[in-house]
Order: sequence, then structure tokens, then C-alpha cells
Amino acid sequence: MEKGIEEKEKFWTSDRLLDLYSNLLKEIWEVVSALIGESVLILLFRLAIQKAGEKYSFLNTLKVTEEGVWMEGFGEFRTVPPLEIHRGFQALINHLFNLFSALAEGVISREVFPKVFPKLREAERILSQK
Amino acid sequence: MRFIFKNLNILRSALNAINMSFEIKEMVESAGTHLPNLFEFSAFGLLWKETSTLYLYQEESCPPSFTQEVSQNMLRVLSLLGEEPKDLSQVALQVEKRRLRPDHMKMDPKATLKSYLTLPLTIEEEIFGCVSLNSDQSNAFDAEDLQFFSVIGYQMAATLKHFQRISSIKTIAIYDSLTNLYNRRYFEERLTGETQRAFYGGSPLSLIMIDIDHFKKINDTFGHTEGDKVLQEVAHLLKNSVRKKDTVARYGGEEFVLILPEAGLEEAHMIAERIRRLVEQTPLNIGRVQLNITVSLGISNFPIHRAKSKEELVRMADQALYEAKRAGRNRVCIFSGI
Repeated sequence: MEKGIEEKEKFWTSDRLLDLYSNLLKEIWEVVSALIGESVLILLFRLAIQKAGEKYSFLNTLKVTEEGVWMEGFGEFRTVPPLEIHRGFQALINHLFNLFSALAEGVISREVFPKVFPKLREAERILSQK
Repeated sequence: MRFIFKNLNILRSALNAINMSFEIKEMVESAGTHLPNLFEFSAFGLLWKETSTLYLYQEESCPPSFTQEVSQNMLRVLSLLGEEPKDLSQVALQVEKRRLRPDHMKMDPKATLKSYLTLPLTIEEEIFGCVSLNSDQSNAFDAEDLQFFSVIGYQMAATLKHFQRISSIKTIAIYDSLTNLYNRRYFEERLTGETQRAFYGGSPLSLIMIDIDHFKKINDTFGHTEGDKVLQEVAHLLKNSVRKKDTVARYGGEEFVLILPEAGLEEAHMIAERIRRLVEQTPLNIGRVQLNITVSLGISNFPIHRAKSKEELVRMADQALYEAKRAGRNRVCIFSGI
């Protein structure tokens, strides 16, 4: 019975994190695509996913098209431990920021960071509540 | 608000110029001409992967160390984007220096790269290369600059994709198969672009029409195969007598035409005379004999002859050519307005 509750809580935490990161990626997409266009952003997202996906394989199921970035098979993600989800997305966002800096130094990061920072704090809060 | 409208209009002109380009070099030049109206920069670069060529359009006081830094940064970005890493020695550098700043703002000989915007040229997930805007000033670019530059980059990528698609068809469509000069169709298109640039930009433009004297006689005496050789030889001499930015085309039959952008009447006359002398002094092997042929040339110029359209400019050069023929051939005539 307790194990069942624990499992449910874990899923609930994973769901909340996935929801949070899913929204964050959408926000990043909206801001950056307005700055550099979709075709360049697709390229950057795919590179960052490929790089972060080497360590966090669940990220490889993220889909990127001209419409944006989204998680396909949300259900499969929720079996991933919350901490791994958090670290995986952190790695992905770090790679993205590295690419943004390589292209335009701080110009993109300055626009995106205000969106990212509160969300990362929120993710940490969710994890600490677990 | 007015400022935004003004910038959008400049952006529109830049995109139009890029879109109208026929060659990558022309595209870089068009961008280089328009970009200073939108951004303050020290160097603009386009790295084209297919030929490993880096086209740089930069401020004339740009020190070589800055050029090198810009080039290396572009190569670094391209390799970060998953492309095969390349050394600077593997890249052909084509540098065009222009005065982008007033004298009192010349670049320091020790200037270093302080700000840049570099974007991949990508369409349908294919990377053609990258474009870069560079400055020796810190924080030279902001988000609005990036937005504008990305639109320009996208247009360049689209144009490059277009170049790639049509490159084989283009060879057939724009070159004259006998002389390897541009054909009449290309000449017409090129002249449209050049007259627009001259008429609206106010820069001079000259046109030279050239006709081989007594060509019919050569054909009748030595046959058409030898006549074709004469056309090829003259085409070769013409190509070697003009500046890089000039266009040499076969207008039809034994008639050729030169478009000389930014050339005043005096310069055009000098080029025409040089061609006339060169043809006259170059013996051609026709059949079993050596023959010296001559050409007649007619010149028209904008703004001096006040042409209001490209057709008028052509008609004026043609009329001047007719005058040269009538006055005894083997001579250069300038349109006299009669």
C-alpha cells in the first residue's frame, strides 16, 4: 500500500517537472524563434538534444519541427526518476545556452534567461518537496 | 515608430538585392552595400561550405589580425554546429575592403573582435555555411540587430539553395555555348539590375557595343568553322580586357556587349580603345593564314547621355556603334545624341 503511494508521488513529481520543462521549452522556442528564425532554431535544438541525449536518453524522444518542440509519448517520460528528468533538462538547456552564446554571445541569453531562471528555481522547489 | 519603418525599408531593399543576385560574390557585395545602413560593424563575412570560401566585406582600416580572428571564429561556430572542423589554411579568403567609417573612427591596428553575431545558413536542415557580423566594439549588437540579421541570413540561405538548384540549368541558360561568354538573356537580366542600381543609386554606368568588322567576308572566305574560331578568339580577348566587375556578353551574331558598372565615360572610352587596339594588334590563325581583324565600338553612359531606361542605354550604344561603322570602322564612337 505504502509502495503504491510512493510510486504515485514519484509519478506526480515527474509529471509536474515534465509539465514545467515542457512549458519552458515552448517559451524558449517562442522567444528565440522570433530572434533567429525557426530553421536555425531547429538545428540548435537538435544539436543540443543529441548532445544531452547521449547521457539522458529519454531526451532523444523530444520532437523538433518548425512548429516547435514537444514531448512525444508523455507517458513514457513519467517512468524516468524526477531527479534524472531535472538533470536531463538542465543539461539540454545548458547545451542550448552554449550554442546561443557561440552564435550571438549574450544577445539571445539575455532575452531567454529571465524565462529560464524562475522555472529552474521552481523545478528545484518541486524536487525538494518530494 | 518612424525609425522602425525606415529600417524595414532598408531591410526590404537589402533582401531584394540579395534575392536579385546571380552569384554568391554578387550576393555578398549586395549585402555589404546595404548592411552598413542597418548595422554598425567592422566586418561582414559569409563562409560558403561548398567551395570552402570565406567572403569578407570589411572596413578598410581593419587590421589583418582582426580579419584572422573573424575567420577563425566563423570556422569555430561552423564546427560547433556539427560541421567538419576546418583549419584557416583550408579556406580561400576573398576580402573586399570598403570605407565603412569616417576617418576619425578608423580601427586601431591592434583592434580585437569584441562582438559578433554568427548565424548558420540553413534551409531544410541543410547547412550551406554561415554569415557573421563582427565589431571591434563591445556590446555592438542587440536583439533587434539579431532579428534583422537573421532575416538577412535566411534570405541568403534561401538564395544559396536556389543557386544550388539551378546551377546546372544556369550554365546552360546564361552562357553562350560557342564563346562561353554570357548570353543575351543574361545580359538583359544583368543590365536590369545594373541600371536599377545606377538610376536609383546615382552611380555611373557605361555600355559598350562591339561588332567585328567585315565578319561576313571572313565567313564567306574561310567558312563558318573558321568564323566561329574568330568569335571565340575575340571573346577571349574581350574577357581579358575588362575589369572584374564588368559583364561581357555575346549580343548576337558577331556583336558583343560590355556592361561597365561605376564606369564614367572617360574610363569606358579607355577600355574601349584598349580593346580596339588589342584586337587590331593580335594576329589570328584562320585556316592556313594569319589574319588581323578589327572591331568597331559604340559607347553610351549614364548619367551623361540621360538614358531613362536600359533599352534607351542599349539603343544609344547601338547608335554610336553604327556611327563607328559609318565613319570607316576600326574605331570607338561615343553616343553623340543625334
